[in-house]
Amino acid sequence: MRAALATEAMKFLRARVPVVTTIMLTLGIAVLCAAMLGALGSGDPQLVAKLGALADPGGWVGFVLAASQISAIAGLLGFGVALSWLFGREFADGTVTGLFALPVGRGTIAAAKLVVYVVWSLIVAVVLSFAVVMIGLIAGLGSVPAEAVPLLGRLVAVTLLTALLAVPAAVAATLGRGLLAGIGAIIGVVIASQVAVFSGIGAWFPFAAPGMWATGAPVSAVQLALVGPVAAAAAALVVFAWRRLQLDR
Amino acid sequence: MAEAALAGIGLVRTFDEGAGIRGVDIDVQPGEVHALVGLNGAGKSTLMRLLLGMLRPEAGTVTLAGHELAAAPSAIWATVGHLVEYPLAYSELTARANLELGARLHGVAPRAIAAMVESIMGELNLASYAGRRAGRLSLGNRQRLGLASALQHDPRLIVLDEPTNALDPSGVILLRESLRRRADAGAAIFVSSHHLDEVARIAHRITVLNAGRVIGSLDPGGADLERAFFDLVHADDLVNAADLVRAAEQVVAR
Repeated sequence: MRAALATEAMKFLRARVPVVTTIMLTLGIAVLCAAMLGALGSGDPQLVAKLGALADPGGWVGFVLAASQISAIAGLLGFGVALSWLFGREFADGTVTGLFALPVGRGTIAAAKLVVYVVWSLIVAVVLSFAVVMIGLIAGLGSVPAEAVPLLGRLVAVTLLTALLAVPAAVAATLGRGLLAGIGAIIGVVIASQVAVFSGIGAWFPFAAPGMWATGAPVSAVQLALVGPVAAAAAALVVFAWRRLQLDR
Repeated sequence: MAEAALAGIGLVRTFDEGAGIRGVDIDVQPGEVHALVGLNGAGKSTLMRLLLGMLRPEAGTVTLAGHELAAAPSAIWATVGHLVEYPLAYSELTARANLELGARLHGVAPRAIAAMVESIMGELNLASYAGRRAGRLSLGNRQRLGLASALQHDPRLIVLDEPTNALDPSGVILLRESLRRRADAGAAIFVSSHHLDEVARIAHRITVLNAGRVIGSLDPGGADLERAFFDLVHADDLVNAADLVRAAEQVVAR
């Protein structure tokens, strides 16, 4: 496992896709919130009505809630792209042939990819909360009030849960033998989540639950906990698929 | 005869479009270079994939140093080096980093990697590209890098699919010498190639594959290898055509 972890970490740290995704998921989301804050300042009533938590309750609480909401949706896409790249690039680049006939099993390599991904997601979640605080300070929201601190914790949790929910993209990238299958799957998941929210079953739909929690909607711990089995099942499936992999297409 | 480093018995694996392998027995012995030749679509790459576990056969078995492929211990896999179709070269990593990565994946102890990488880069004349990202290497140098990754840990079994692809003449010579040295030191080497002249220079045995079956062998020291090869292939094609006609007649008769 150590060799697989070392090599996967080496590839991840030196590639462009993780760097770009990290920036988009941290600074990108924080700057987007600040831009929306700027739009709020325009006073346009139609625009203000669309800005949700940023307008009401507004301030730091609204700012962090807005960041959580964006993280839940944009995060699913961003984490999905990262996972699609992590697994799909081996097929797209042809390097998968070199991952056969080794003392390190392919199931172990897939597991190492997931470990690297989870560690990276944790870093992204923490950096995003710092970025949101920094951008909020720069945008002139003043010092962070006590009631916003738990919401920053929720932002980290929502980002992590979202990262876990993107794991099916790895399954799709593996079964589809490339990046596009993974990206297509995660777009499908985002659409399904929106449909679930509009149809009123969102809290019981694991892919939508963290996003609803981010808005402050009533979501129980049990509903949020459903993220665990979904991610675990997807992780087990991708490890199994890599262990049984054949280059037959 | 010593235990084969790699052996396939009764291998069958066909694809919907009709290509594939149809009952192949093949082995590679320690200390020999065994070459596989055949036209495009003969099944060379499919056979190599079967022998390395990239495909599972519909029938037949593959053994690696006497172990069934699925049960071969990692210590045995650590003694295998291969390059099938694409080099193990990640475009974002330098040539050196790619070789370090390949060494780790082949189970080389971290403290031994630096010297090993330097040695193979010297052997395959890659030292001047050590710090260049693989994505910026020419096709030929990427192939050299892939070969270096397959050979650097001094494997006991080497499987190379069209290893001279994209190599310049000096690369071909370097590879030839490198493989000869390894075979002399006891490594078992299995290579596929289109280049009969090159195969004749290096191989101890030449097996001819056509339409997914082994149809004979060639003498590496033979006078006119090209003619001998095409005689075998054309004779087999005539037999296959006659079989097709017979099968069609039986269908019509029914």
